[in-house]
Amino acid sequence: MTPLVQLRGVSKDFRGVQAISNVDFEIRPGEIHAILGENGAGKSTLMKVLAGVYQPSSGEMLLDGQPVTLNSPSDALNRGIAMVFQETNLVPSMSVAQNIYLGDEKLFNRLRGLNIQAQRYLLSLNFYVDPTAQVSFLGAGKKQLVEIARAVHHNARLIIFDEPTATLTPEEKFHFFNLARRLKEEGIAIIFISHALEEALHLADRITVMRDAKVVVTDETSKFDRERIVQAMVGRSLSSELYSGQARVARPMGRKILSVENLSMGNTVRNTSFSVFAGQVTGLFGLVGAGRTETMKIVAGVLKRDYFHGGTVRFEGRPVRYRTPRPAVRDGIVYVTEDRKIEGFFETMTIAGNIQLGHLAKGNNLLTPVVPRQGRELAVEWTKRLGVKAIDADARVIELSGGNQQKVVLAKALIQKPKLVILDEPTRGVDVGTIVEIHNFINELADSGMAVVVISSYLPEIKTLSDRILVARQGRIVEEMDIDEATESRIMYAAVH
Amino acid sequence: MGKVQLSQEGVVFALAVAMFAVFAVSLNNFLTAGNLIALVRSVSILGILGLGMGLVVIGRGIDLAMVATMVVSLSWVLSLAQSGTPFDTALAYGFLLTIAIGLASGILIAYADIPAIFTTLAMGLVIYGSGRAFLFEIDVQNSPTGVEWFDFLGRGLLFGLPMPIAAFAVLAALIALLLLRTRFGRFVYAAGDNPLAARITGLPLRPLIVVQYVVSSLIAFLAGIVMAAAVSGMSTRVYNSTMIYDVLLVVVLGGISLSGGRGGVRNVLVGTLLVGVLLNGMTILDITYTTQNLIKSLILLLAIMVDSFINPRDEQTSQQSQGDI
Repeated sequence: MTPLVQLRGVSKDFRGVQAISNVDFEIRPGEIHAILGENGAGKSTLMKVLAGVYQPSSGEMLLDGQPVTLNSPSDALNRGIAMVFQETNLVPSMSVAQNIYLGDEKLFNRLRGLNIQAQRYLLSLNFYVDPTAQVSFLGAGKKQLVEIARAVHHNARLIIFDEPTATLTPEEKFHFFNLARRLKEEGIAIIFISHALEEALHLADRITVMRDAKVVVTDETSKFDRERIVQAMVGRSLSSELYSGQARVARPMGRKILSVENLSMGNTVRNTSFSVFAGQVTGLFGLVGAGRTETMKIVAGVLKRDYFHGGTVRFEGRPVRYRTPRPAVRDGIVYVTEDRKIEGFFETMTIAGNIQLGHLAKGNNLLTPVVPRQGRELAVEWTKRLGVKAIDADARVIELSGGNQQKVVLAKALIQKPKLVILDEPTRGVDVGTIVEIHNFINELADSGMAVVVISSYLPEIKTLSDRILVARQGRIVEEMDIDEATESRIMYAAVH
Repeated sequence: MGKVQLSQEGVVFALAVAMFAVFAVSLNNFLTAGNLIALVRSVSILGILGLGMGLVVIGRGIDLAMVATMVVSLSWVLSLAQSGTPFDTALAYGFLLTIAIGLASGILIAYADIPAIFTTLAMGLVIYGSGRAFLFEIDVQNSPTGVEWFDFLGRGLLFGLPMPIAAFAVLAALIALLLLRTRFGRFVYAAGDNPLAARITGLPLRPLIVVQYVVSSLIAFLAGIVMAAAVSGMSTRVYNSTMIYDVLLVVVLGGISLSGGRGGVRNVLVGTLLVGVLLNGMTILDITYTTQNLIKSLILLLAIMVDSFINPRDEQTSQQSQGDI
């Protein structure tokens, strides 16, 4: 059987950094193919090459055995390759029907006709989505359905999903699995990137594991088990060293530094109460949509005041209600974002500039002289402490790897000498080696008496780091446990419903 | 991206020098002392305004009300002085007026979240309209005579430099110092680069925006004083001219990115030089006013295109060009 799509020796580099290198890969008609690998292994780049978003630097691509060059995503779509991105590509202000037929409307486009047509079409796919609903009001799962409907409408023979289940509820996930199987029956091939090994083992016909920009192994799913995948992903047993799962002694609770009582905000934070203690790492676990980030953002004043609907936050016993991050920072609460590109660092600035800014932000007088040399000294001190690998402190942050960027963002926050630091997914998009370093550093912070909150969606990370674990579900903290009484299954049981 | 910007600045500088050389060789009246002084004089006002505009643009804003502020505040000051108010007192009133204007724009932009471009565009019209309605009546106000420092500012020399140019140089040095060596300057760059990150880092984002517009207003006031001293008066025709676009041209052509966080005083200097030589050369060449405007507008358009090509404003696209692996 001719493979549907075949890549031969494909490489793609960004400014000399190999994102994928010399990759051979094939996808067969009507198969479900899972792509696994750590962050930064090159999965997304490979998918974007397949979908025409990136053009390979070298190597060739065959479609139905014929060499082909995809110039753009729409070019790929015309040839039957559709990609469903992590961030959806739907037009939020338009209706479901308009989104499905976007790009091939008739000249005189009757909305009613379009809705009826969309309704029939959605029903034929067994999608229960109202075609007249505005997309911005749909949940993540429904949005995904619309994206898939759009792809199928364009006669896609290959649909690529980038982490399709990351934003879905367990119930929606179940629907997604059924859907994927149904698409397969219709002869549509599916590739999906995933971080959940169980999903891949459960759903895929074949699995490809990537590591360090290369394809490590592709094989039938039946020949894989969890162990083999993990081995292939890390290529060394670092993973088990990182998350040994062995019982460790919890640090004792220090003084109560933060207490949150009945905090509410719309549908995302519902009457939640919890406390955080100094000298410990408090792990905040929850699935996506559990309101973890929002809760902590309210605490640190990062959300705008309009979203605050009631409850009390006490910091060091004093009731506080921060409307901007500035007073929180000055009182000693620092929030480190999960999305460093969007709200973490300043891309035009050097490492030194970024770190020094954290220092400057605590001060008040706008006319205080700034000494660049001082900034460099601070930067050198902190880059040494955190082990930032860069040529020197004058390198631009944008030129660093994800792990090093994260370290700079951390340094910028910690230079503000917080009493409570909130780390939102501190190791997202960070390479394995750096994860260990960041974990060690977090432990040092707690040892030094700081209150540390780590928000993570990754259970092993929560278990490795935390002294105390809070589990969030649907906008509230539903369970609190010490590390010695926590098991993965207990945490997960609390997080799902 | 650093290299590209450096070369943009370099290219503009080289262009200015080349144009200067061509004009010097080909135009008879260009390289005369009189013309050169006229050149720097006319350009120094533009440069001073460019410093204010540059500061605001680095902070990811824009101040289209600068020329209106300059014209109205100075017209009012001069008309007060004409009607007998002591000049110093009149200047103090003008100073307070410009601060009020800066505060108004800044507060609307920072606290009401209205885009700077619309706020200051409308603010310019409001300022000019209220000025004409309430503050002064005739189009042209003459400078008072007999104020010694004021005459010196207009016609004096400092180390052989005409005073307007000296004022420009001093202000440029001050703004450079402010941008590079004070907390305020760092904050402006940070807020222009990434307002979200600046907020999370704990910068006083909104007060910072207000201060920026107060500073740009004050710089407009200063430019007005220098202008009134140099040409012995202030005419409302300045407001109706294309001056605000010339200021933008100086800033964008010099290489300060409209997407914020990039550029500095050096860029304003280079931009001023090029625009100055260009305007002066075109005038000597006897190119009509309309054609001059067309040429300037085309260059402005080109400069903005180059800027948005080099420094895309959209965070998402600028990330995509980095390639997420």
